[in-house]
Amino acid sequence: MANSFSAIQIDRQKLVLLSILAAIVVAMSFLSPKFLQLSNFQNILLQLAPLIIIASAANLLMITGNFDLSIGSVLAFSAIMHAYMSKLGLPIGLSIALCCMMAVLWGISNGIMVGYLNVNPVIATMGTMYAARGFAYLIARWDGGANISAGLPSDFSDFGRTNLFGVLPIIIVFMLVTVAIFIFIEKKTVLGRFSFAIGGNRKASVLSGIKVPQMTIVLYSLVGLLAGFCGTVQVSRVGSGFPNIAEGMEFDVVVAIVLGGTSMLGGSGSTAGMIIGALIVGTAANGLNLLKVPYFYQTITKGLLLIVAVFADQTIRRRG
Amino acid sequence: MMDAGKADVLMGIKGLHKQFPGTLALDDVSFDILRNTVHCIVGENGCGKSTMIKILTGALERTKGELLFEGRAFEPKTIREAMAQGVTALYQELNVVDDLSVAENLTLGREKQRFGFIQKDADLSVLVENLRSLDDSIRLTDRVGDLSVAQRRVIEITRAISTDCKMLVMDEPTAALSEDETRRMFKVIGKLKAKGITIVYISHKLGEVFEIGDKVTVLRDGKVVETREVAEIRNSSSCNSDSDACLELVRMMLGKVVLEEYIPGSNIQALKLLEARNLKTGKLRDVSFELYKGEILGFYGLVGAGKTEVAQVLYGIDPYSGEIFVKGQSLKISSTAKALKAGITMIPEERRIGGIFGQLSIRANIPMMRMEKVLTNGIINRGKENALADGYIKGMSLATSGREKKVAQLSGGNQQKVVISKCLNRESDVLLMDEPTRGVDVGAKQEIHDIIRKLAREGKGIIVFSSELPEIMQLCDRIVLMYEGEVRTVLQNGKDIDSDRIMALVAGGEVSA
Repeated sequence: MANSFSAIQIDRQKLVLLSILAAIVVAMSFLSPKFLQLSNFQNILLQLAPLIIIASAANLLMITGNFDLSIGSVLAFSAIMHAYMSKLGLPIGLSIALCCMMAVLWGISNGIMVGYLNVNPVIATMGTMYAARGFAYLIARWDGGANISAGLPSDFSDFGRTNLFGVLPIIIVFMLVTVAIFIFIEKKTVLGRFSFAIGGNRKASVLSGIKVPQMTIVLYSLVGLLAGFCGTVQVSRVGSGFPNIAEGMEFDVVVAIVLGGTSMLGGSGSTAGMIIGALIVGTAANGLNLLKVPYFYQTITKGLLLIVAVFADQTIRRRG
Repeated sequence: MMDAGKADVLMGIKGLHKQFPGTLALDDVSFDILRNTVHCIVGENGCGKSTMIKILTGALERTKGELLFEGRAFEPKTIREAMAQGVTALYQELNVVDDLSVAENLTLGREKQRFGFIQKDADLSVLVENLRSLDDSIRLTDRVGDLSVAQRRVIEITRAISTDCKMLVMDEPTAALSEDETRRMFKVIGKLKAKGITIVYISHKLGEVFEIGDKVTVLRDGKVVETREVAEIRNSSSCNSDSDACLELVRMMLGKVVLEEYIPGSNIQALKLLEARNLKTGKLRDVSFELYKGEILGFYGLVGAGKTEVAQVLYGIDPYSGEIFVKGQSLKISSTAKALKAGITMIPEERRIGGIFGQLSIRANIPMMRMEKVLTNGIINRGKENALADGYIKGMSLATSGREKKVAQLSGGNQQKVVISKCLNRESDVLLMDEPTRGVDVGAKQEIHDIIRKLAREGKGIIVFSSELPEIMQLCDRIVLMYEGEVRTVLQNGKDIDSDRIMALVAGGEVSA
């Protein structure tokens, strides 16, 4: 195969991102003795895993020029639903499957609104964001409290806390698998190719016979599916369901994707870039944590990072 | 009356150039606009009219050249600056607020304000007087949304002339008007002239030039062909009627038709690939035609005649009534997917907007309309993709450093070849080509024509929609002439075909036996 390495072809933009990441790593290892420890890196990855999993699909969605604000809410909905159904006595596996299906339904509904009814993606998915979050609180109320922590089956946490070969947390395994699948989708499938086409030139896509609404629905469903799945893993890891879990996560996803070089206008981007973007955000946050920088400074840093990244993207585009 | 020698020039245009990346939109344009006249500007699409207006009204900066307004250098940087000096433009889109009353619309943007609050007593009297003088049927309390298009136009005009306007530039003011409303608009224009306002009038309806125009400037390919007195054209010996005079204008607009020899189609077969009966849309009126296997059918008409609309209907973009038969089977083409399934592919008019995926490589562009050809077990096979791309690059003599080049970086002609390759890969029987050589250089144009002929020989049915008469006459076996949404006639191409007659027909002349 002549091009089996195409997935890791490195262009200039990615080189810049990798240098930023390297700079952060080098700086942090001087500033904090704890930073270079293996357990710290595992920490960073554990923190980032759900984000990278969901962003894999959300990245492809953004390549089509759309995006999804309901990610955190769908994750929370799925998490609390999983806790609720498990507590009712449903087998864990069945409950996870059902939660994923419901999350896909949220995605389909986003996709129909955006793809067929031409509702602006910000508005459509913001509606879903509120609705799904509301359901999350409502389900906790059905259980009779503000969250679902007591009375879960004893094996509830087994799934999320599994370590493959005794060392690799299951969520990191899922992350690696998802990333591999999405690099494959991006490079080797019609879905991937059409995503670039739709984001690059929507009108030409329609005139070329590409079924833009259907593609939009598929991508929103994938984002929903992964958000829902991560919800079940997270709630299982934590061992209790909180309806306010992953609040604002959609913005972290956007930051990682945009930092990774995917344009908000669509048409360009890559899974590999998104991963580097996520690592930059994750490493920077971890470093600031180790340095005991107060949380609000971290938020400010994240905001500045995002603005600088988008500005750089626009400048590059205008010149290109 | 002015002395011919001392004509009172309101706006003098001298050696105006406008360079856009890749094209010279205006090339040494010079003419004078005399005070208190209606000065018409005509020309086909892309002749530079819009650029011209934009420069006159401060919306665009010139590259080179001089504008003198009332004898002084005129260099507006913005539309507002131009207005302040007395030049106002009315664009095709109406610039009124439907939900406000007539009075509110008139004072819009000129309310007296204090600390951001509107003071009610803005001075209406001048505005009201102007409005009355133009059209006394409009009441100040009417909601603008309830008025007719022409009346809304009058409100715009009132607003414009109440700001010490000396020159009013009107871009197709009658485009959306009915016959009656057009009459009304002409009356308004007459009144404006009586008030001493100079009007620059742009229209695709050539008949209007002879109804209201004093002078007319014809533009072609960014150059002035001629500026003439309208009366002089009408009274010239060859013109017996207004439609003869229109024909004279069309000749000036299109220029001398340099004909390459038409090579008759060699493989036209009796099989009817496509037949349309009585197609109707908002724009088209009972359009019927047929297309045979191996034939190149041309659609020709001036801007607005309905060529593009026919293509849009056949490709499932516009809704229509009437019947379409594909290989004898009646089909309702309600979407692009249906058109493609029926074996109809369109090469769209604007390749950048509707044709290419500029950010993607040539290799990625070509299979886009039929991915099956590059898949192995549902997965994109790079080897197949490369082979497909290389085949088209060779077959089309596409000039590129390689198949991985981004299409946006190719020249216009090569981009068009990518679009054609992409569409050919669909392997449809019927190809609709809307302006297949617009914006490509002469060499590439010839190559694209050769490709089209080759496709016809291979048995495709091809419809070429073009606003270039030489292209149509050189390429097409039969020619459908359109005028105002109607098929005027269908001509068989050959030695005895007469470009003058074609021009007369598309300008609205009578079909003689």
